[in-house]
Amino acid sequence: MAEGRPGVSVRRGLHCLVALALLALAGLSCARRADLDELGSFRLSEVAEQGDPARRASVRLVLEGLSVDTTGGSTLALTRYERAIQVDPGNPYAYLALARYHADGVDPGRGMPFLDKAEALLRAERKLEPRVQAHVQGLRGSILSSQGRTDEAEELLARARDLAPTTWGDGRLDPDELL
Amino acid sequence: MRLALGLIAFVAGFATAVLVVRLDRTVTQRFEGRLFRVPSRVFSAPTVLYPGIDAWRIDLRGTLQRLGYREEIRHASGGGPLERGRFVWGGSQVMVNLRPFEHPTRSEPGREVVIQLADGVIQDIVDARVGGSVAAVLLEPERVGAYYGPDREQRELVRLDEVPRHLIDAVLAVEDQRFEQHPGIDFRRIGGALLANLREGRVAQGGSTLTQQLVKNFFLSPERTLRRKLREALMALLIEFRYGKEAILESYLNEIYLGQRGSTAVHGVGEASRFYFGKAARDLSVAESALLAAIIQSPNAISPFREADRALRRRNLVLRLMHGQGRIDDASLETASAEPLRLASVTKDRSEVRYFLDALRRQLPDVYDADVLMTEGLDIYSTIDVRLQRLAARALREGLDDLEQRDPRLRGDGSGHPLQGCLIALRPQTGEVLALVGGRDYGASQFDRCTQARRPAGSVFKPFVFIAGLEPGPDGSAITLASRLDDGPLRVVTPLGPWEPENYDRQYHDLVTVREALERSLNVATARLALEVGVDRVADVARRLGVESHLPRVPSLALGSADVSPLEIGRAYATIANGGIRPEIRTFEDVVERSGETLARHEIRFERVLDAGTAYLSISLLEGVVERGTARGVRAAGLHGPLAGKTGTSDRERDAWFVGFAPELVVVVWVGYDDPRSIGLPGSRAALPIWTRFVLDATGGTPRGAFLPPPEIVEVGIEPSTGALALSGCPDRQPEVFLSGTEPTEVCGEGAVAQRGPGSGSDRAPRGGWLGWLRDVLE
Repeated sequence: MAEGRPGVSVRRGLHCLVALALLALAGLSCARRADLDELGSFRLSEVAEQGDPARRASVRLVLEGLSVDTTGGSTLALTRYERAIQVDPGNPYAYLALARYHADGVDPGRGMPFLDKAEALLRAERKLEPRVQAHVQGLRGSILSSQGRTDEAEELLARARDLAPTTWGDGRLDPDELL
Repeated sequence: MRLALGLIAFVAGFATAVLVVRLDRTVTQRFEGRLFRVPSRVFSAPTVLYPGIDAWRIDLRGTLQRLGYREEIRHASGGGPLERGRFVWGGSQVMVNLRPFEHPTRSEPGREVVIQLADGVIQDIVDARVGGSVAAVLLEPERVGAYYGPDREQRELVRLDEVPRHLIDAVLAVEDQRFEQHPGIDFRRIGGALLANLREGRVAQGGSTLTQQLVKNFFLSPERTLRRKLREALMALLIEFRYGKEAILESYLNEIYLGQRGSTAVHGVGEASRFYFGKAARDLSVAESALLAAIIQSPNAISPFREADRALRRRNLVLRLMHGQGRIDDASLETASAEPLRLASVTKDRSEVRYFLDALRRQLPDVYDADVLMTEGLDIYSTIDVRLQRLAARALREGLDDLEQRDPRLRGDGSGHPLQGCLIALRPQTGEVLALVGGRDYGASQFDRCTQARRPAGSVFKPFVFIAGLEPGPDGSAITLASRLDDGPLRVVTPLGPWEPENYDRQYHDLVTVREALERSLNVATARLALEVGVDRVADVARRLGVESHLPRVPSLALGSADVSPLEIGRAYATIANGGIRPEIRTFEDVVERSGETLARHEIRFERVLDAGTAYLSISLLEGVVERGTARGVRAAGLHGPLAGKTGTSDRERDAWFVGFAPELVVVVWVGYDDPRSIGLPGSRAALPIWTRFVLDATGGTPRGAFLPPPEIVEVGIEPSTGALALSGCPDRQPEVFLSGTEPTEVCGEGAVAQRGPGSGSDRAPRGGWLGWLRDVLE
């Protein structure tokens, strides 16, 4: 018994530590969630003035595209996104907009390479922050869902909803929600 | 006698009836079938203007002129609003009234903008009417060529309701003032012409109506015989009877010959309006309309470009006729007569785009065969960048001339096969062909060496070997850039006999790093690596990246023994430059029918075929080739910024290659003879100078963008001689990039020894220690 007590107290201590750590993590998570809620969903207008002139012009073309996409001019929007890539082939937001465009279209699978490209560029530019991640994961989930890969899709959409509840609450990203 | 006369009358009547029926059939077949063969036109990609772009480098002024914009000389800030299609070039600002670009899916509004410049760079673009900055404006695509039939006629069809009344009035005033009254033949005019000709003693006046002129152009030869005249008159009557004045006038306005653009005949007022004034027919002024009508008589003798005074005098004669016939009032006569000649720049179809046009035709869906392209009047919006195409043609032409000047033996043996070359420029992210020059002179040889030729790739194939080595094999092993390869003598027994590769300098170099092997383009080390990873895997990499030609599974494949096209090689390197994502090659964006319907679209498509980390490692290797290796001449020529590439020289120096890329531009240059002759020069001396000349001009010396490493890439210092981790105390330290988790764990000076190739200690391995564990967990 005398030998057992120190072991028990060590174990209790560890349990307390684990509990404290979990509480801290929960607190951090809540704080981050609060931060995300405060910042709102990621929108392209936030980055319209960032980068070199080509990037700025390219982002503005994407914004124009989203704007016409909102009013139903989807083919014109597509050409705006493609033009944005021609102005700045490294603009991740142009690929993101193209992924969204296809995810919403008749053949959502065509959006996947654009999403991969957007993600690769965002990663390389170190811009894959959680609010952007929400759109990447949500779009991926949306495309996978259209391909019948429901389990994977649900997991990704749940993560997107968690990161951007207002935008991804309905499981889709409308063009005006990216503007 | 009466019977005979009756018989003659019957036969004559019958013959006339047969003739009329035959002529009527001819007329209806033409009028109810395809009236005109309209060559399909090819347009460039539009020029996008935005703040930050160098207006000089993109040749904004020249582009506006080529697009038919008319320059006005005045102070940019004064003089009121500009007319559509005009611009004022000031020192620090350019005012342009942009024409709308009509396209079913990509229409652009017409608007007046002020472009602010500082040191030639666009600082701001302001909408002159509503104020406020504009993100970007698109200039309409430039017409770069067309698919002509054997007659080389070009026309832009217009409907009668698109033609201004004053243009119709001008044409009628001078060509057929009683058009609305006569039945196809104007007997009063014929009488007048006869009298005038008798007085002059020569044929001074014609009596043909518009309808007769149309008949002559559509159906008959230009000979002046009574028989032809009779047929012409009969057909004119038939056309008037069957089709009415509006249809005849519309056909006439689209048919009439109005000048010559180089070897191409300009037909119809639509095409002529673009050619002479850079605008649509509907936008012509009274004076411009009168000028077009004035030159119908003899478009080349009264050409406004060459005979301006004569054209002006005849234009004013037309204006006076219009006034005399009550078609314009006094004020219009006065204003129009005082208007100086304002012509658009002459824009001939560019011969340097011919290879591109052929390549585009081959990429179009099969339904667009030669006949369709020559007759249907389609508008094809291509990916060609006119400025880059011009620079590419110049770089290749001057580069080959330079080579021959420095080494006259390259001029050839008089066999009729001169030194040839090709250059292709691609945008790696989209696969767009921006420029393509398939040979030295299209007129002399239409064979496109960029897309149709298959030539041994030489060392430009080597990166595929290294990529195969960098990718994990079936056992999970892979090389790193710090792995060491054996460059000692190698002998391989093959069914065709022993194969003993040699290096270009005929030396062996014992152990070298992977990086050094590619930078120095070492054949033996590369061949050994290919044998270790397997030729099949090398071929598989090449295939995935975009090489479609047959790749024989032989050891020499590693050194580029397979015949490939420069386009395939360009696509494969574009995949690398694009971070492992293979683009689909595009030469056109869409095909639009005359009615405005989009018939075909070629959207951007791509596919990931290589892991981003491996792609980055290969980019890093190829950057080394430019920094220190066989392509260091690129830097010596003054090119800065992110650049990567590989030289290539095939067996016996028959083919010289350089494939180089910046983050947003991949360029392939090939130099050689069409017949199997050696040029006696390596890629670094034959192809690289052409590449450098082109990229310097195209980018201004510093390409845009950066090769961004993906997060899985880490950079650590290594000791080059051993490949071991070099900490601060190590005497010899050089940075190297690795896929995270594959960086060396042995530290220099701790007994590290040189490691050999695949499966060595520097292969992918878990990191040790608690710090490594923590990094793994966090990642």
